[in-house]
Parts: sequence; C-alpha cells; structure tokens
Amino acid sequence: MSFAKKGAPRRRFGRRKGCRFCADSSLKIDYKEVRTLRYFISERGKIVPRRISGNCAIHQRKVTEAIKRARNIALLSFTSNRTVE
Amino acid sequence: MRTYETIFIVDPRVAGDDYSTLLEKYKGVLAAESAELLKCAEWGTKRLAYPVKKHEQGTYVLMNYKAGNAVVKEFERRMRIDDAVIKFQTVVLDGELDLSAPTAVVADEDAITDDDDEEDAE
Repeated sequence: MSFAKKGAPRRRFGRRKGCRFCADSSLKIDYKEVRTLRYFISERGKIVPRRISGNCAIHQRKVTEAIKRARNIALLSFTSNRTVE
Repeated sequence: MRTYETIFIVDPRVAGDDYSTLLEKYKGVLAAESAELLKCAEWGTKRLAYPVKKHEQGTYVLMNYKAGNAVVKEFERRMRIDDAVIKFQTVVLDGELDLSAPTAVVADEDAITDDDDEEDAE
C-alpha cells in the first residue's frame, strides 16, 4: 500500500517561457500602459492565469493589480466589448 | 507627504474654455492645499472601455502631486461634487515619480476618430 510517487514524466511545453518581467527588468508594469497589459488579458477581457502567461508570482500580482486599476478608470473593459444586438 | 497620482475623466462635452478653467480649478485646489504639483498630463479625448454615466467618450487628465492624505480627501470630494468629472482614481506611488516614464503612450493608441463611433450606432 505504498503510494510511491509515480515518476511523473515532466511535460515539456515548447512555448513555456519564464517570467518576461524577470527576464527584462526594463519592462514596467503600469496601469496606464494598456498596450503591455493587453498581452495578459484574454479576448473576453479576463486576466490570463499564471500557468499560461508564465509570469512569476510577484509579477503576476502586479499585472493583476494594474489590470484592475486600468479597468476601474475605463482604460480596459471588464468584459468583452458590448454586443451589438 | 506622499506622492499621489490622480487620473480623472472629464465630460467630453466640456471643451475649450470651460475645460481649461476646470483644469485651472483643480490645479488651484491642489495649490490651495499647498500640495506640490509634479506633473499634469492631458491625454485628450478617448473612447472609454465601457460607458460611464452614459458617456462613451471622456477626456483624461493625469495629475501627479506630493501631498498629505487630507489633500487627497479634499481633492476627491471636489471631484465628486463636480458634474463635469465623470470618474476619478487616485493611486499612491511608492517612491519618487519617474518623470521620464512614458505615460502618454496610451494617448495616441485610440485617440478619437470620427469613424470609430459608428460601429455600435445601430
């Protein structure tokens, strides 16, 4: 009855890249720079999770905060654009 | 004393002289409270990401200043009363303001062009 750890085969994603903000310290996270933040929101306007964006915890938190601030002041939408119906 | 950054959206119908008097008024509020205005950037009229108080567009103004917390309170109170200001947000900046930072980048991205508005007119 041993729960021996399965030798979990590490899945390797080719496109998995590390935190881009750690890699390049000149990149700033700012709620006013919507263009940078656009990269971290889905088409629906949701914040892209860390497992997909590849951000480290510190920077993901900063990105999240920046996106929420940008949403608050109507620079980014909370949802995808209003449907024309 | 801390460094604050207030961004507010002015009713796009307030333009020309009314707009400049409004700006002067808020600069005056800060001056009266003896806050040190570091930067005042006007982004111009932009399309809002979602309608705010039934406005689809708004004129963004960004102000950086050094002041105590009571100043922010008064500044926001004045904006809350003013009908021309449709939304505002104040953020504390940690550390000194980096004046070299490009903050106006967003301004040119979707500056209002007339053909932009027709999409959801139907």
